[in-house]
Amino acid sequence: MKKHLLAASLLLCSAISYGGGYQLNLQGLRELAMGGTGTASTADASTIFYNPAGISRLKGIEASASILFIMPTTGYSNAQGYSATTKSQTFTPFNIYVGGPLREGSKVGVGIGIYTPFGSGTTWDDNWSGKFLVQSIYLQSVFIQPTISYRVSDFLSVGGGFIYAFGKIDYKEALPVQFDNGQDGQAHLHGNANGVGFNLGVHLKVASTLQIGFTYRSQVNMNVGAGHADFNVPASLQSSFPNTTFDSQLPLPQIASLGISYRPIDALTLQFDLNYTGWNSYDSLRFNFATNTSALQNEHAPRHYHNTLTPRLGACVKVSKMLSLMVGGAYDPTPTTQGYISPELPDADRLVLTGGIAFKPIPRLTILAAFEGVISSKRFASYDYGNYSGTYQTKAATPGIGINYNF
Amino acid sequence: MKKLYIIGAAACLLSACHPNVKVTPNPTKGNANFTTYLAVGNSLTAGYADGSLYLSGQLNSYPERLFEQFQSVGSDGKFIQPLLKTDFGFPGPKFIMAVTTHCDGSTSLGPAPYAGHIDTTGNIEHVSGHINNIGVPGIRIADYDVASYATIAYYGGGAPYAYRFYNNVAGTPQDELIYRVNDLQPTFFTCWLGANDVLGYATSGGQGNGDGTAVPLGANLYANGDITPDSVFKHLYDAAVTVLINNGAKGVLINIPDVTSIPYFTAIPAKGLILRQGQADTLNAIYAGHATFVAGANYFVITDHDGHIRNAFPNELIMLTTPQDSLLCAGWGSVKPIPAAYVLDQGEIQNAQKATAFFNSVIKDEAAKHNLVYVDMNAYLKTLSSGITFGGVTYTAQFVTGGAFSLDGVHLTPRGYALAANQIINSINAFYHSTIPTIDVNKYDGVKFP
Repeated sequence: MKKHLLAASLLLCSAISYGGGYQLNLQGLRELAMGGTGTASTADASTIFYNPAGISRLKGIEASASILFIMPTTGYSNAQGYSATTKSQTFTPFNIYVGGPLREGSKVGVGIGIYTPFGSGTTWDDNWSGKFLVQSIYLQSVFIQPTISYRVSDFLSVGGGFIYAFGKIDYKEALPVQFDNGQDGQAHLHGNANGVGFNLGVHLKVASTLQIGFTYRSQVNMNVGAGHADFNVPASLQSSFPNTTFDSQLPLPQIASLGISYRPIDALTLQFDLNYTGWNSYDSLRFNFATNTSALQNEHAPRHYHNTLTPRLGACVKVSKMLSLMVGGAYDPTPTTQGYISPELPDADRLVLTGGIAFKPIPRLTILAAFEGVISSKRFASYDYGNYSGTYQTKAATPGIGINYNF
Repeated sequence: MKKLYIIGAAACLLSACHPNVKVTPNPTKGNANFTTYLAVGNSLTAGYADGSLYLSGQLNSYPERLFEQFQSVGSDGKFIQPLLKTDFGFPGPKFIMAVTTHCDGSTSLGPAPYAGHIDTTGNIEHVSGHINNIGVPGIRIADYDVASYATIAYYGGGAPYAYRFYNNVAGTPQDELIYRVNDLQPTFFTCWLGANDVLGYATSGGQGNGDGTAVPLGANLYANGDITPDSVFKHLYDAAVTVLINNGAKGVLINIPDVTSIPYFTAIPAKGLILRQGQADTLNAIYAGHATFVAGANYFVITDHDGHIRNAFPNELIMLTTPQDSLLCAGWGSVKPIPAAYVLDQGEIQNAQKATAFFNSVIKDEAAKHNLVYVDMNAYLKTLSSGITFGGVTYTAQFVTGGAFSLDGVHLTPRGYALAANQIINSINAFYHSTIPTIDVNKYDGVKFP
């Protein structure tokens, strides 16, 4: 009854799962509303995330903030006629950016961004058929990114930011040891994680109507140093499942992006982004307990992720001085490999559709609202390591509201 | 205005946001007819587990699991088992996991007979009417021609399980089979018989006749410790199958497991004698070359079939029933040999395996001859030694921790029986081109711990 403890994979996974390309989608409402595009535009202070080179292009110090409400649901069914749906939950990632040129006309811009690229979770029924693989997973993280940008010329600006990331995880799965009353044992793994990375950008203003951006976000290795591994098992087995600590390392992948922003007429902006995500760094999952027993062994589970290329499209129509409408979409292919897809991340190719509105009641203030719908294709997925398979589908509805203020 | 728009958009998208992945399986019966199902067999079929028969064990038998799945492909909705009334064990108590204190003061977690009050009220009441599961714990193919099987003195004053429901306790098991087939008119059957024709020999430590030349004690009755002679097995197995297919029923013949792959014979390792140098020196002096010892792990000292006292050979088997206290405190396996009745030596293993191979060839031939499903359960259970993973749990043939075998080391847990049922379903589906859904094994119980 060797147990496959897979907790660590979960950390990343739920984020990927519901962020629909977590790396771009939710870090700014304007960008979100335009399909997650924003590498080439410098619309507001959220450029600290989308392209750090853009801060020196802002007209002055700006502040942007938004909050989003992710409501993901995953459904599962198998050939035995069994089906299950995750419990409804709402998560609230947020972001705050402040930045701009040091003074009017300065070539140097500085800023800081605080954002939550992961903040989601999945809760299945405790007795669902995949309970020995995952019962629930919850992940929360905050990235802090101080950033500096230099405008070399009207044509070229560059920028970079340092990322400090911290967060926490909480994961539960059933253990195949039963109490007298038939109840399953449970492993509860929870702890804090942190890591560092950087975010680099180049911004080209080819013409007043055409902008191009390149960014490179480094891999961030989230280290779980001394997470708590608590086991609820029958008294006679407590020595086999001692409460202990665990460590793990989760690579959040590097991402290279290209963006183009084009304004054919004054009232219309079209944007195109391409993200190349280095998922292949997530080749396997290692999971080490401080104390091992014959029943509790370190885990090394293969994941075999592969790199993905995600195209994104967005458009913004300026209806009036006060009102702009935005729409967009993206196709986000899954990095998972068939045979290695566990129910903690039943990932599939995703179609992302977005829309939003920007309302400018007074010149300095913009109020933003956006909505994202993520629909994964129904996918038969198997996890050979745990001999578990079925058809999955994930949908997520993410409304958000935010403001932007020019000082 | 804007706010309303957003809420409106959100609401309409949210309603569409519930994934609908329900796959409605479309079970089909293929070329078979599952209207009325009869299960024939021994303890494995009866749902015996943990060294006894009890109510929840019966409700977790593999025939019960199969019946539940057959309900999606045209079963008449009836499956009657001769259920006991209570969960304590019949006639003796079942094993439960408990902490036992041994003679040397050490304690260990392991199977122990349930020590509380045993409520057997109603268990010996005769069960009448239609019965769909006529599995009888202990029954052999060799018994199928024994008159008054349910009552004769050889089985301790009657075979208690048969006695509970046999329509005519004076008849043979074959008579009972004929009666049940006529009574039920099954359209589908499973037959898992034959294991006890070799298991009795093995669990007696090979004390009976093992070379296939056993002779009856009288009136077709073979000693429990004998291996059933080939010709007797072939004749009586064929006769039983002939009755089962008489009305055109289709069905499944399941072969028998190799006893050397079950925890009853593997839980105690032959190389289980741990010695310090001084102890090894002492034993070397005592045995003067008949057995040798070194510091560390040694093969137990045994008495083999021929009465020779020696170290066990690497592949020889020590039985689970070897008294723990004798090993710990009475010098068994070291200064005293483990008695031959607790050891399956090389020659005895060969006898058991040869008989198993022959019986399985008979079962396979019968399946081919009558165009029935042949389930190679022997091969399937052997794969347990390397592990069978289901839904994130890896089941093995390890005693207690493996999760598939119950606390007697021979019979299965509810999860083990569900795994076996899935193997049968897969074989049925392949043979009859049916699409009966398999079972979520992990829904059922494994080994429970205090």
